[in-house]
Amino acid sequence: MKSIFLLSLLFLSIFSFSQKRVIYGKVIDNKGIPIEGANVYLEGTYDGTSSDIEGKFNFTTSEVGVKTLVVSFISFETHSQTAEVTSFQNLIVKLREDVNTLDAVVINAGSFEAGDNAKVTALKPLDVVTTASALGDVFGAFQTLPGTSTNEEDGRLFVRGGDADETQIFIDGVRVFNPFIPTAKNIPTRGRFSPFLFKGMTFSTGGYSAEYGQALSSVLTLNTIDQPDQEKTEVQLMTVGVGAGNTQIWGKNSFSINASYVNLAPYQWAFPDKNEWIKPYEGTSGEMVYRYKPNDDSLLKLYSSFNYTALELIQEDINTPNGFHFGLQNRNLYFNGSYKERLGNGWSIFGGIGYANDTSDINLEDDEVDDTENSAHFKIRLNKRFSNRFKLNFGTEYFMTDFDEDFRESLGEDFNLGFTNNLFGAYAEADIFFSKKLATKVGVRVENSALLNQFTMSPRASVAYKSGKNTQFSLAYGSFFQNPKNEYLKFNTSFKAEKATHFIANYQFVKDRQIFRVEGYYKKYDDLLKYDSQFVASTTNFTNNGNGYAKGVDVFWRDGKNIKNLDYWVSYSFLDTQRDYKNYPTQARPNFASKHNASLVGKYWINDWKTQIGMTYNFASGRTYTNPNAGGFLNQQTKNYNSVSLNAAYLISQQKILYFSVNNVLGTKNVYGYNYKNQPEANGIYNHQAIVPSADQFFFVGFFWTISDDKKNNQLNNL
Amino acid sequence: MKNLITLILLVFGASISAQTNYEKGMEKAFKLWGENNIIEASQLFERIAKAEKEEWLPAYYVATIEILASFGLKDEAVLNLKLKKAQEFLEEAKSISTNNPEIIINQALLNTAYIAFDGQKYGMTLSGKNAALYQQALELAPNNPRVVLGKAEWDMGSARFFGQSTEVYCKDVARALELFKTEELPKFYPNYGAKRAEEILKQCGEN
Repeated sequence: MKSIFLLSLLFLSIFSFSQKRVIYGKVIDNKGIPIEGANVYLEGTYDGTSSDIEGKFNFTTSEVGVKTLVVSFISFETHSQTAEVTSFQNLIVKLREDVNTLDAVVINAGSFEAGDNAKVTALKPLDVVTTASALGDVFGAFQTLPGTSTNEEDGRLFVRGGDADETQIFIDGVRVFNPFIPTAKNIPTRGRFSPFLFKGMTFSTGGYSAEYGQALSSVLTLNTIDQPDQEKTEVQLMTVGVGAGNTQIWGKNSFSINASYVNLAPYQWAFPDKNEWIKPYEGTSGEMVYRYKPNDDSLLKLYSSFNYTALELIQEDINTPNGFHFGLQNRNLYFNGSYKERLGNGWSIFGGIGYANDTSDINLEDDEVDDTENSAHFKIRLNKRFSNRFKLNFGTEYFMTDFDEDFRESLGEDFNLGFTNNLFGAYAEADIFFSKKLATKVGVRVENSALLNQFTMSPRASVAYKSGKNTQFSLAYGSFFQNPKNEYLKFNTSFKAEKATHFIANYQFVKDRQIFRVEGYYKKYDDLLKYDSQFVASTTNFTNNGNGYAKGVDVFWRDGKNIKNLDYWVSYSFLDTQRDYKNYPTQARPNFASKHNASLVGKYWINDWKTQIGMTYNFASGRTYTNPNAGGFLNQQTKNYNSVSLNAAYLISQQKILYFSVNNVLGTKNVYGYNYKNQPEANGIYNHQAIVPSADQFFFVGFFWTISDDKKNNQLNNL
Repeated sequence: MKNLITLILLVFGASISAQTNYEKGMEKAFKLWGENNIIEASQLFERIAKAEKEEWLPAYYVATIEILASFGLKDEAVLNLKLKKAQEFLEEAKSISTNNPEIIINQALLNTAYIAFDGQKYGMTLSGKNAALYQQALELAPNNPRVVLGKAEWDMGSARFFGQSTEVYCKDVARALELFKTEELPKFYPNYGAKRAEEILKQCGEN
């Protein structure tokens, strides 16, 4: 009995040595509302608990001295405080909302994001290859979004009353100098890049970041894949050509190469079009990407591509009785290298280099033109994250363009034209989150053009407010400068940069695979280039006295939820624009800008057939043209444009896909405008000729086969 | 035989007597989990993970709980929060134990949670990754029943989608089941899967 007593005494003394202290308090949010379920603990120990429904917590510890108390809860910033353990009593811990979450406000007026990382995805990477009208072309897919005007005969992006040259393309932050394959007049172009290279895309139709310059209307930024998943070989057999690709991975390195050869001769033979082809379109292209990822914090990417394009044809022309003879050979070499690294302490650095060499031999009737363009882009960007609520992004860049043209007239003179255009740019931009609901981005960009001897400064600002769980409003403002095009700079360099100012207001609703957004804008153009002759030549007089405006509303609705296996979107754009530029005698709506544009895109998966079928309907109201018989300028309007395209992808097995598509399946006879004869007939009437597509429809059949170790991967993402 | 029993007893005894804070903590967390106190279990695993910088299991279980809880969610913001947290803890586990097949197949499970939420958005990029992850896990641990089962199940999913025979993968499941029977695992090591294998094998028999 005595011994038991002693033993219990001993135990008591042990207990008293490891004296327990109570830690207690309450967790609340910034409005004072209790947070239930927060994890409250002493760092480095197991001592802790969860807060209860009233936000209260209470636990004991045997720790002594100075310790750190941590309070964490999902979607809030983790709180920690260091002090003497005995002082952790009756605490009130106020947690701050984490602004870096999916349900936080997004600064996105003017832009559409595509990709896995985007908070709101208007377009998914797969859409590029499964949208019926796009034919696997990145630019084709973006033409189904609002803010663009359908110009089927061109193929490039015409954004909010701007012409196609007002859009710039960037890959991994570095400018692409010649993104489009050159073609003949009236034959739509395509991007030079295979769509499966990219994991994320942002299409900005206005008000974009100060990081980008030299674009009056729009920027499209494409980000390449960081690391391929596995080694594979791909084979493509198509009605228009063949292609092959291979990916190797070893250690921290990977290398992908692909090559394709396209020849439209068999297709033109089977389905002759309105042109007389001497040499149907022939294109060879190759791309290589090498990636090196030494650790999770840094990545090196080296991308290069080579393209060769040749074609020769005779096109109907009302002023050339035997047709207009056009020939083209183009070679394009492009290199894009980038390196990024997280330096720690919130800093990260990015460096990029782009280089392009582009040469074209062009025959215009009997005249010959040889163009050579060498361009380079150097860029350094630094990011500093002070906190989730304040981030700074700044950088500097340098563009060099050297353009040289030889023009040989069949009977007459040789001209040699050219220029060197060097441009320096620098920018700084801050992202500030006041709360999860209110955020702003403010920045400024400066540029100095050596060629134009001009310094410009463009402020940019946007603000976004989250009005409800699924809704938000945003506003954006910015001014933008762009040097005149090469085709003018080669004759004259005493210009100013052209200028645009954007004002944008946006409302967005996002919920469970449904997106609705409506955006109104006003865009003002100043210092547009004007000239006084019918064609530009060395004798032409230029001024910067042009101006213009564009205003309108863009509406977008995408729904992947309400109908099983159906994903669809609807875009509508209203555009009111006029400009006085080039050789316009007065302000007028340009030919490329139709007042109403609409697209409907649907994709339906039929499980029993293992087939996805897709449909795209494009509508555009009439485009302007000048009828000399009526008097006036751009005084008439064509009929409306309509086109329905269909496609189907049939998965034969995991690795074999059969793909089929038809553009303009109804064979609608569309008209883009009219050409008039230079001279009137005896009765005083000018004869005309409609500008129409060279073929009303286009068919495509392809077979895609992937060979990989696990026999799973396919090229659905490649169509 | 006698020696073996002595050895087992010795080891058993040793493990009891040397029961560390870590073991007590882990046992408590498993107990909470077993009682369906999921939040508390997860938070205790989290505290252990933060305190024990050499153990990959606590971080692994924090991730596992978040991944399992994210299946069937309807709100993408919540899904993203949970899976981002899971990813963070998986990275922690990876940094402690590299090339660990259990962590690799958990990464594949995390990707599957995204794919299950929106196949069109995430399927294209993540299904290729998953195929590669299972391949990698199988190369590292050809006789780990969870790896064999996970890969077989993933393969069956795609075979079924294409209307192909799943028979060859049923054999893999049967093999996994055999492996489960003979598997000996260290304490707290993930040991799920035998039941799942039995269920799948039953379906195999029905077809």
